Amino acid sequence: MEGDCHYLEGNLNARRRVEYVQNLLEEIGLDGRRIRMFNISSAMGAQFAGYASELAATIREVGPNPLRDYQAYLAEQQEAVASGMV
Amino acid sequence: MIVAEQKPLAEMKTLINGAENVLVVGCGTCVTVCFAGGTREADIVSTSLRMATKLDGSPQQVTHSTVQRQCEWEYLDIIEEQVKAADIVLSLGCGIGVQAIAEHFPDAWVVPGLNTSFLGLPTEHGVWEERCAACGECLLAVTGGICPVARCSKSLLNGPCGGSENGHCEIDPDVACAWQLIVDRMSSKGKLDALLEIQPPKNWQNSRDGGPRKIVRQDLRLVEFED
Repeated sequence: MEGDCHYLEGNLNARRRVEYVQNLLEEIGLDGRRIRMFNISSAMGAQFAGYASELAATIREVGPNPLRDYQAYLAEQQEAVASGMV
Repeated sequence: MIVAEQKPLAEMKTLINGAENVLVVGCGTCVTVCFAGGTREADIVSTSLRMATKLDGSPQQVTHSTVQRQCEWEYLDIIEEQVKAADIVLSLGCGIGVQAIAEHFPDAWVVPGLNTSFLGLPTEHGVWEERCAACGECLLAVTGGICPVARCSKSLLNGPCGGSENGHCEIDPDVACAWQLIVDRMSSKGKLDALLEIQPPKNWQNSRDGGPRKIVRQDLRLVEFED
């Protein structure tokens, strides 16, 4: 939980750094919603799944990384799967 | 140290607009320790500019290099070939670094990636505060080691003024009254009486009012450079 970290105030420091990266992504034009921080403990499986679904929905809305040639990336992945490398 | 902060990425993009090859030059001294223009920042800025200009549809080649000290010409020789290959050099040094590159490489076009802010020190992680105004005539001996020129909003030599309230300055409650600090320090040293001496008007000719400043040390000069 926020402020209740194994590394004492670690997650409070991390929150500020995540905000820095969000702002940087916005400045670049990559949409700051691509990174987000959630505070959960290892005993919160249901919440973890919920946050993962929430972030996945956001990422679908934001769309693929425009800097990457997505079609070429998909082809690479399919080729890797076909060759048994993945 | 010289304290600086990065210009917004949008402004940097404008400054390098139209250049095919851009060289970002970091500096390993003051701006490294204030996290504005060291190796890490030069890397982040160049990567960010590459991505941002690609997203804009006009990708620019942005590389980066960091010199140990941008404010001395001899430290710049190491980037000579990179500067020659670049259409624009984006300096992440202080204003001195930008000018040192421009003077050392007259053919290069150099633009600043930082706003040079002040001479100061870190008071906590992520916080820097002004301590010196480089006025050219240091008064710290008469003010207990606390500079009224840099830290008093009015640069009063005989303070405090009527705007001092509970140790804070009238311009902003977050700003400490320098003269309160001076009085407290002189009191703690048993030297409060020393403040009864009125300080005469300061000779501002030693500061910026006297025009660009220069120091010549004849004992250090080399014969070959003598006039």
